[in-house]
Amino acid sequence: MKMLKCFVILVLLIPLLTSCWSRKELNELAITTGLAIDKQDNQYLITAQILNPSEIASSQQTSARLPVATFTRTGQTIFEALRNLTHESPRRLYLSHVRMVIFGEEVAKDGIQEVLDFISRDHEMRTDFYIAVAKGQEGRDLLKVLTPLEKIPTMKMFNSIETAGGNIATVKGVHLDELITKVITKGINPVITGLYVKGPKDIGNDLSNVKKVDTPTTIQTDYLAAFKDDKLVGWLTRDESKGLKYIENDVTNTIITIPCEDGKVSIELYNVTGSVEGSVSNGTPKITISLESEGILGEAQCQIDLTKPETIEELNKKIEENQKEKLQKVVARSQKDLKSDILSFGEAIHRADPKAWKTLKEKWDDEFPNVEVEYKIKADIRRLGTISESFQ
Amino acid sequence: MKKLSDWVKESKKNKKKKPSDFVTRFEPVGDSKSNQTDNGDSISSETIQSNNSNSNQQQQDTPSNSDSILPSLKTTLDSIKETIGKSTDIVFREFEFGQNGEFKAAVVFTDGLAQKYFLNDSVIKPLMVDIREANSNITFSHSTDILTLLKNHTLSTAEVSKAKTMTEIYDALLVGESIFLVDGLKEAAVIGTRHWEGRGVQEPSSQTVVRGPKDGFSETLRINTALLRRRIKDPSLWIESFYVGKKTKTEVAIVYLKGVATESVLKEVRKRIKRIDVDSILESGQLEELIQDETYTPFPTVYNSERPDGIAGGILEGRVAIIVDGTPFVLLVPALFVQFLQSPEDYYQRSDIASLIRMLRFISFLLALLVPSAYIAVTTFHQEMLPTTLLVSLASQREGSPFPAFVEALLMEVTFEILREAGIRLPRAVGSAISIVGALVLGQAAVEAGLVSAAMVIVVSLTAISSFVIPQYNMSISIRMLRFGFMFLAASFGLLGIIVGIIILVLHMCSLRSFGIPYLSPMGPFNAAGQQDAIIRLPQWKLFSRPRLIGQKDKHREETPAPSPNINMDENKEN
Repeated sequence: MKMLKCFVILVLLIPLLTSCWSRKELNELAITTGLAIDKQDNQYLITAQILNPSEIASSQQTSARLPVATFTRTGQTIFEALRNLTHESPRRLYLSHVRMVIFGEEVAKDGIQEVLDFISRDHEMRTDFYIAVAKGQEGRDLLKVLTPLEKIPTMKMFNSIETAGGNIATVKGVHLDELITKVITKGINPVITGLYVKGPKDIGNDLSNVKKVDTPTTIQTDYLAAFKDDKLVGWLTRDESKGLKYIENDVTNTIITIPCEDGKVSIELYNVTGSVEGSVSNGTPKITISLESEGILGEAQCQIDLTKPETIEELNKKIEENQKEKLQKVVARSQKDLKSDILSFGEAIHRADPKAWKTLKEKWDDEFPNVEVEYKIKADIRRLGTISESFQ
Repeated sequence: MKKLSDWVKESKKNKKKKPSDFVTRFEPVGDSKSNQTDNGDSISSETIQSNNSNSNQQQQDTPSNSDSILPSLKTTLDSIKETIGKSTDIVFREFEFGQNGEFKAAVVFTDGLAQKYFLNDSVIKPLMVDIREANSNITFSHSTDILTLLKNHTLSTAEVSKAKTMTEIYDALLVGESIFLVDGLKEAAVIGTRHWEGRGVQEPSSQTVVRGPKDGFSETLRINTALLRRRIKDPSLWIESFYVGKKTKTEVAIVYLKGVATESVLKEVRKRIKRIDVDSILESGQLEELIQDETYTPFPTVYNSERPDGIAGGILEGRVAIIVDGTPFVLLVPALFVQFLQSPEDYYQRSDIASLIRMLRFISFLLALLVPSAYIAVTTFHQEMLPTTLLVSLASQREGSPFPAFVEALLMEVTFEILREAGIRLPRAVGSAISIVGALVLGQAAVEAGLVSAAMVIVVSLTAISSFVIPQYNMSISIRMLRFGFMFLAASFGLLGIIVGIIILVLHMCSLRSFGIPYLSPMGPFNAAGQQDAIIRLPQWKLFSRPRLIGQKDKHREETPAPSPNINMDENKEN
């Protein structure tokens, strides 16, 4: 009985506790799905894309309100700017569901380290969003485009990066933890997805953008932004991006088009495994890039006899050449032009010879452009699709 | 039993006087052994007699002198009339018997509880008519033991015993026995004439099965013991009777398998039943509260069932059944937590299916307990745990909702509890109205009016359906109760509160005992062999041991080999 009395008293005391302090009802939240960070007058300019849940989820066609809205404010720090946003937003910004964080090109060129601090420190931010850089534009421009199919523009960007990254291998999605690791580790430099708005910006901002079959203003996922430490140094082309992904062993599936006699042949590559191995001899670092891939012949627009093993062998050679060319392109670009080790050669050397790395580490920026690279490429066509002979 | 053996001795003495041509409808008692192993009928008569003797023994402990039966018939009858307040259901039939009607006698019985025709044919007619027609050589005189003589030769009834005190007479009279009084004697004969209108054996309404026996216990204790006896035809099935309640004198029988049931549990059951000192026991639920281990717990520690197969199964595992006269709900102890999530049907369906269904019940148990609180916690504290699209759709439903999620949940849950209670109390004919009001008016209208979100209706429905899956009603009530506690915890502390609540709940369950057996066994304390029949049920041929802690004394249950197709094939070849 005594126990019971104590228990009852304890239960009655619960309402007196200052609990529920972190309680937030769903309709008191402004669910933020995208953040854009730009600079203006030496201050950060934060743009938040906020959902209008009833417009997105409702099954009926309701008012002409838009599914998303953006609020923009400045502040000396990101945190301050975000709090300043409440001047505009009727609800508290809720950052857990942020899908995209977009840096304006200017911010990226100045360095993103300060910004990353807030993003990784704030407890509300999950780390599963993608980080992107607006190519040649302000980050907020990207948040102001209405997109077809996906009602939430940031979801469109997020899904585009996922889909393209898996199917074409010229796009690479970067999460926060990967980015931070690459920024702070010597011997690796990060690349970040590049996004840009194609078409007139004032139409993209309006509902009329999604009222047309051929959407006038779209968000494109192209190019990769190459960084040196935390500063943007250049943009990789598609071929270079693909080469980078080969090296990073990040290709799950891609398409390769190679010439044959009088036409072209497209091959779908799968089971692609790339690796970078380093070695140091007499203080000179050397890198070996190996790449193995299997392929399915997807399209043949020329007169070749696919039943002959020699033809397949020839095609394999051509694939290898194509791949080597792409690898060489990206290696040359990063070594000669960007002078940034986005290919994580330094890390490979570090793994192979930690002792030598200790001395190499200090002068790596000078050493990197001169590192000798060897290629070991092997491709193998395994299947020819549902027909063997070409019609021609 | 003591009295019966006394009688046997007496009858042996009187045997010499027995005439050969005397008409009797039953064999002389002879010795007690032949009586015990007579036939199906005698099993019940034996137990009843032993019950009577038990009660008589209890009451004989405190006989007062004024309690004894006076030799004068008239005084005795007047005394009965006075004590019973001239109640109209007590019938007094006075008559005379003997060659010349020299003996005054009376039969007293309760109308409605005693079988009148049987009394006519077996008591009154033999005494008044048959004795004379039989032209017997027996000479009745006041010097001989008339009652014993009559019992042995004339009273052609299956149950007869003697009463020496008025208390015994009332006890017997009011359960439906007939009292046979003879003028000039200080004792009376109690004739077993109990028979009243009962509900009979019907299909149980509370625990229905798809496959399995459809008979259910009834309100009459004797029918219930017979239902168990029909299933377990073994001499080691023992039945002990107690009378509980000063006014109701309710018969309580404990049924167990001698040599299988744990002796300490049996002792505890007897002790706890004897300890009871109340006016009335009208239902086994009242008895349950008086004998359970722990009052301050939401969990039932005594199992009850309307199904004879379930109770028989429990007895065969070594448990003790407690049957209370006047209710079809039979208790079973010790009761473990897992038992409340099992159904007798689990043993009749294939073991794989039964196991899956049992797992489903455990999942439903958790759902019924935690879904509303988890919903509250996630939507008010941990929105980051939801996928974005789900969050958006939940948020859109919450737009314009006037109450916090907790109040909303409380509103709907309380409404549902009211609906459920109303559904039970309503007469059957109007019962369907409740479902219409509940489903359509409250569910749909509340959502359309914007009072509650549609997701909340789904949550409440899911909870309700899950709680219906639990086979035992008393367990599902306790979950209904706990659910609100968890909702409070979730609303104040989020998932943290729920987790702490679960920890406290599990600790509490670990501390519970049912007649000395840990409530959470075989999970806590863990027993590998006990897992054969807890969350899963292994095939019948693998259930070779009785549950540990319950059927310890006789662990080995069976030795059936695994069914093998080869055996049959060989036999076919030979054929």
